[in-house]
Amino acid sequence: MTTTMLPRATVREGLVARSRRRPGGWKQLAVNQAFLLPAIVVFVFLFVVPLAQSFYWSLTDFTGYSSDVTFVGLSNYRTILTDPSMLAALGFTLLFGVGTTVVVTLIAIPLAVQLNKRFFGRNLVRSLWFFPAIPSMAILGLVWRYILSPLESGVVNSTLQDLFGVGPLAWLSDGTLARVSVIVVGIWAAAGWHAVLYMAYLQSIPNEYYEVARIDGASARQQFFGITLPLLTPALVISTFLLMTAGLKVFDLPYTLTNGGPGFSTYTITQSIVVAGVSQGRYGLASALAVLFTIAVAALAFGQLWLTKTIERRFV
Amino acid sequence: MTTSVRRLVLSVAMIALACFIAIPLYYILVNTFKTQGDMVAAPLSPPTQLFLGNYQEVLSDPRIYRSFLNTFLVTAAAVVLQLLVGALAAFAMVVRTTTLNRVIGAVLLLGFIVPGQSTLIPLYRTLVGFQLVDTLPGLVIMYLGGSIFCYFLIQGYMRTLPYEIIEAGRLDGAGSFQIFWRLVLPLIKPILVTVGVFQTMWVWNDFLLPTVMISTPEKRTVVLQVYNAVSEFTTDWPMFMTVSVVALVPMVVFFVLTQRHIVNGLLAGGVKG
Repeated sequence: MTTTMLPRATVREGLVARSRRRPGGWKQLAVNQAFLLPAIVVFVFLFVVPLAQSFYWSLTDFTGYSSDVTFVGLSNYRTILTDPSMLAALGFTLLFGVGTTVVVTLIAIPLAVQLNKRFFGRNLVRSLWFFPAIPSMAILGLVWRYILSPLESGVVNSTLQDLFGVGPLAWLSDGTLARVSVIVVGIWAAAGWHAVLYMAYLQSIPNEYYEVARIDGASARQQFFGITLPLLTPALVISTFLLMTAGLKVFDLPYTLTNGGPGFSTYTITQSIVVAGVSQGRYGLASALAVLFTIAVAALAFGQLWLTKTIERRFV
Repeated sequence: MTTSVRRLVLSVAMIALACFIAIPLYYILVNTFKTQGDMVAAPLSPPTQLFLGNYQEVLSDPRIYRSFLNTFLVTAAAVVLQLLVGALAAFAMVVRTTTLNRVIGAVLLLGFIVPGQSTLIPLYRTLVGFQLVDTLPGLVIMYLGGSIFCYFLIQGYMRTLPYEIIEAGRLDGAGSFQIFWRLVLPLIKPILVTVGVFQTMWVWNDFLLPTVMISTPEKRTVVLQVYNAVSEFTTDWPMFMTVSVVALVPMVVFFVLTQRHIVNGLLAGGVKG
């Protein structure tokens, strides 16, 4: 699930404001609390219990089969830090997260500014950029596997061959190239979506700001850095947060494009959890990884919340 | 440069760039109309003759319809339940702001931060115990975690409704559930649609949960079906492309019908499917 909360001006008038003054009877209260029940059940059984289980298992050598579970302390956590596949997974996941966040942001902001101008074919251009966000990343990963194939019909290699006479490059079977390929496809898939997000915020910037700036003789560059960029800060915070969390949770794309390979070059944390937990039955190890992962994502979420609050206090 | 010349240059540059970005899409689409030999000879050129054999073969395979049905059932059940659970909780929370409810609200928010990957392994084992692994209802249960997200966005919207609505309902003798069902739900339709669109895109396109949960071929979702088609058509690329294109059609249609809500969602909530 890739979702997030957003700071939004809460409306203080309305349902909330007056409800406290109108308490019903106990019966009313009970009926009302019953509405909360499904959400609480979901929360307890889909979040609290499994998280507690994960934490408990992370301290044991539970394999799912043996009935005698031994408490092993932090040994699973130590294993993660020495296991080559898990270290590779941590490394690549972080690289993917940071890489896509930085490059997509650098592409999406200027792209949004251009897409916001009026030109012939604008709607078509917007749609083409946005399109990769619609289908499943897993299917796109599979399609790209063909595009980057070393065979003749792999279109990247055949084009390179035709235009420059460069021999087939092992896009997906060389460690470094595979990492680059996965990240580039990730960027390709996300840039348009984030440009649309920025565009939505761009359209809320009053035109008068630019008119005044032009009268004062500000150049296009000065307008961008003086008006556009500062006013896009809320969008920037949201967009980078979404990119970073999606990056840390990435699974579909590397799994379908390279299956984590060659070796463990494009192995991800999620794939690591799934393989250790479901296929190998190493519950202790998978759980320890899941716990570390939760802490990392939570830290990121709280960091973002703090950043948003700080920015709001300064600018609003 | 005059404005119109500048606009023309921008136009040409932007269209060229967008076409470059769209090459992969062109590539899969164009090759669905070719035979295998045609594709190997010239992967990027338009088909010499309109070959529909790939589509005939894909569309005559009952498995693709089965997978569409599975995905449709799972997505519909999961999204409706997510919205219902979320809306019910939001209603309770907004109508009665007691300290207890405020604490519950804050705790529920934590469900937001926890990534699905972190609870996957214990949930998987629990569902094994209930014999719900490798079943579509099991998959729907896994997706119910998304209700917390729905709750959060819905309650933000619900707070903007005037309290008089509920008051008027009470005066007319309506019970809480009637007020919720008859008065509140129709009024929060815009946010239900927006959140529903995002959750639909997530559930329909998801690969992680189906690949972990589903092993029986008859229970595959569309994405899983396409994933398995790769090993089936290792050498027959046009066939694989055709399966992909067929799999993409419903999502594209869905997007065309709902894109307005996606942009609204981006503005209102900053959500990513």
